[in-house]
Amino acid sequence: MIQIKDLEKFYRTEEVQTIALNKLSFGVKEGEFVAIMGPSGCGKSTLLNIIGLLDDPDSGSFMFNGEEVSGYSERKRSELRKHNIGFVFQSFNLIDELTVFENVELPLIYTGVKPAERKKRVEEVLEKMQIMHRRNHFPQQLSGGQQQRVAVARAVVNKPKLILADEPTGNLDSTNGNEVMDLLIDLNEAGTTIVMVTHSEHDAKYSHRIIRMLDGQKVTENILA
Amino acid sequence: MLKNYFKIAFRNLLKNKVYSFINISGLAIGMAATMLIGLWIYDELSYNKHFENYDTIAQIYQNESNNGDTETSEAIPRPLEFALREAHNDNFKHIVMSSWNFPWYLKYDEKNINFLGSFMQEGVIDMLSLKIINGKPNGLKDLNSIMLAESTAEKLFGNEDPIGKILKLSDSFEMEVTSVYEDIPDNNSFSDLEFVMPWKFYITWQDWIREAEDHWGNNSFQAFVQINDNTTMEAVTNKIINVKKERSPEEAEFNPEIFLAPMKDWHLRDTYENGVQSGGRIENVWLFGIIGTFVLLLACINFINLSTARSEKRATEVGIRKSIGSHRSQLIFQFLSESFLIVLLSFVLAFGIVLLSLDGFNNLAAKQIVFPWTNYQFWIASILFIFITAILAGSYPALYLSSFNPVAVLKGTFKAGKYSALPRKILVVAQFTVSIALIIGTIVVINQIQYSKDRPVGYDKDSLIQVPVMSAEFSGKKDFMRMQLIESGAVVEMATTSSPTTNVWSNRSGYDWEGKPEGFQEDLAWTAVSYEFVETLGLNLIEGRGFSREFASDSTAVILNETAVKYMNIENPIGKLIRDSDYNDPDPAPPLKIVGVIQDYIVQSPYEPVKQAMYVFDAYENESYYNLRMNPDRSISDNLETIEAVFKRNFPNVPFSYQFVDEEYGAKFRAEERVASLARIFTILAIFISCLGLFGLASFIAEQRTKEIGVRKVLGASVKQLWILLSKDFITLVIIALVIGSPIAYYMMSQWLQKFSYRTDISWTVFALACSGAVLISLLTVSYQAIKAATANPVNSLRTE
Repeated sequence: MIQIKDLEKFYRTEEVQTIALNKLSFGVKEGEFVAIMGPSGCGKSTLLNIIGLLDDPDSGSFMFNGEEVSGYSERKRSELRKHNIGFVFQSFNLIDELTVFENVELPLIYTGVKPAERKKRVEEVLEKMQIMHRRNHFPQQLSGGQQQRVAVARAVVNKPKLILADEPTGNLDSTNGNEVMDLLIDLNEAGTTIVMVTHSEHDAKYSHRIIRMLDGQKVTENILA
Repeated sequence: MLKNYFKIAFRNLLKNKVYSFINISGLAIGMAATMLIGLWIYDELSYNKHFENYDTIAQIYQNESNNGDTETSEAIPRPLEFALREAHNDNFKHIVMSSWNFPWYLKYDEKNINFLGSFMQEGVIDMLSLKIINGKPNGLKDLNSIMLAESTAEKLFGNEDPIGKILKLSDSFEMEVTSVYEDIPDNNSFSDLEFVMPWKFYITWQDWIREAEDHWGNNSFQAFVQINDNTTMEAVTNKIINVKKERSPEEAEFNPEIFLAPMKDWHLRDTYENGVQSGGRIENVWLFGIIGTFVLLLACINFINLSTARSEKRATEVGIRKSIGSHRSQLIFQFLSESFLIVLLSFVLAFGIVLLSLDGFNNLAAKQIVFPWTNYQFWIASILFIFITAILAGSYPALYLSSFNPVAVLKGTFKAGKYSALPRKILVVAQFTVSIALIIGTIVVINQIQYSKDRPVGYDKDSLIQVPVMSAEFSGKKDFMRMQLIESGAVVEMATTSSPTTNVWSNRSGYDWEGKPEGFQEDLAWTAVSYEFVETLGLNLIEGRGFSREFASDSTAVILNETAVKYMNIENPIGKLIRDSDYNDPDPAPPLKIVGVIQDYIVQSPYEPVKQAMYVFDAYENESYYNLRMNPDRSISDNLETIEAVFKRNFPNVPFSYQFVDEEYGAKFRAEERVASLARIFTILAIFISCLGLFGLASFIAEQRTKEIGVRKVLGASVKQLWILLSKDFITLVIIALVIGSPIAYYMMSQWLQKFSYRTDISWTVFALACSGAVLISLLTVSYQAIKAATANPVNSLRTE
């Protein structure tokens, strides 16, 4: 599903240029669950952003579903993104002014799903995430675990082929964290590809494969399953 | 999708009440001001549009040159009519000779009421499309007929049918009411035409009018025309421009040029300089148009600044929406629809403000603007207005907010860059530049009015009244009335004049005197006055004496003003003679002997030099006004009561009316005062809107720097130091605005002052006043937020981590 070859990304400030990704190459197959680990600043979040088509590499090749996407325009990238990719963030990133229901509904609005169908699908996914009873609440009225379940619900409501999770349990206690990991496992078992960035060895163990990074390069790769 | 956008917009409005209030109220005030100005401009531009033949009606004007100066006037001589009809008739649908619109008494039964009316030729009915609602279609056919406006008929006849009834004009001529026409609405020339009588009556009525028939030099009439559809104003002007010159060799020395002033120019472009059309009220239309646009821009700037300042708060939403798959264009649309919503709410509020303030505005602007509920153009303009404002206010924030990089935003590392505040600063400077220019402009206008008001008038205008005595009954009664009035104790002195004290009705030429330069074409303001003229007005004699009953020869005496002596170049004027240049005729007018020279006194414009004037002794009952110097030892109301009683006793059939001379004089400032008070209001609005924006920005900055302030406080900063820290940046912006705005205002106001010969300087105190005012107001605005932030307990701000 994902083929990355010699990917490079630099960050420039006025004085220094830092290498975030240094000739990185690897691939992710459809239905895989890959965890990416490494110390802060090793480039793992940059990688996730590039895979998520939020960011552009400086050089190298990025094939998504057999298509070279590294040179895509902003508009094409967002088209590809909204139909194929769902995001789960460490800090949940829900829109404060929208209710649970409305937050989850948002991706469906952007893909042009009809209102009746939207309602059905949002309710379905809220049911699955066991957050239906909170559908009319605003994010601030929920616990962290509940907020992350809403974020996961929002990421999957469009039935994306790929979910990108950036430290999904980072802001949660272990009970809530485990619940979120269970949700991700369920999704993966249902066929969704998952790429997750994490600091937590515990969480990484849920994956099929762990890629460890340092200074923008892949150092090791452990296959768990 | 739109529903989702509006939902977010509404929730944001409710969540940030202060910002919403500043945004909506600022925009509403700005929009209301712009709407009022828009209505005013529309009203000005629609002047005379009531007339169906608006595009083809014109008035005949003439330029005449005197010693190199060209003067333009609508006063024309009678023979011009015959020349036009004879040689150029094929250009015109109508030529309508007319008298001036003057007050006349119309009497029916017990009612004797003063109405404004004219003597006009029959073509006027078709030319002005007068709508006859009762009586004959042509009510000017018979010599003694009179056509009444609907309101005039109502006042005189009530519910009676006026047609066929006999009225008495000036209590002497019997006129039969032939038709009633619908009133001509306000905001049109002729809206004060309360009745029309036949021109042919007028020309048989008095000797001087009859004799004017072949006098090309007697410019005492006016003519309106309607040109044919197949020609243009310019084409007709080209044909008739030399008609007077060709027909009247005597007048050719004044180089008279006859031209058409189209109806569309009467109201807005009525000023002529040296024979060339040079503006008029159209300048005010531009002025207020610009002010209106600026006020709206100021309000839009508030919106832009507050939206972009708060952008960090909206950044997360932008990032999330982008990561979910929103296009940038969709975000731009979202933010634009949000500003559209806010502008729509502001418009509703502005609409209310306009409805509530329209009466006051009308008062101030001397207008009768009615809210155009049923005018579809108004509603289309309103919708356009909302869209334009929304785009003006919303475009930049939409482009800015939608440009955020989702990666930075969602990682939480997003901070607006070092230069992100720069556009905001530039806009604040722009706002205050406009405000300061407006402040300076308003002060200069007020100064100019005050300066001209402080100009010595040259006579004592307090407790002086003038009573119009143009009715035939007053003839020959002036000495008798003077005695009666002085005996009554209400009046200490009285003199008659042929023009009101505050105007010149007659200008004359055709004189000769010793030392008159070769080829000099004089133009003198001419007033006929009675014996106690100098005493009654309280004029200052420089040389010689006033007219006196002790000198029988004073019946041919004349008094000059200082300017006239210099203008005519007469040395040692007392005793010199001024002759009518017809002294070679078999029956010449007797020469006038100069008996006195008075200090100039202001008769016409207080902004212009006093015109050269001659005051001849009135030996021929030329009086139009009694000027009464009231007894200073009695109250004005007592005096007026007594005076009225004296008039009623002697002229029971003439309603008593009078004018205070100082009020008439004050009226000369009205146009400028109107501009000043409108400018003052819009300036205050501009400052208010700018400060509203500054307040919002200050509160935002204070909020953003809460932690910094907390840390500084913990480290020992005093409230004063923090106040300076927070206020400094804003005051710097205001000072930059001062530096930019002052020269602009100086230049603009110098230009404006050029139109007054008698004008104030723009002194440095104006700038000092404007600058200190602007700094003080902005300091107060910012300080509230600064001090609030500086006195907050640092524990609270530091704990929010």
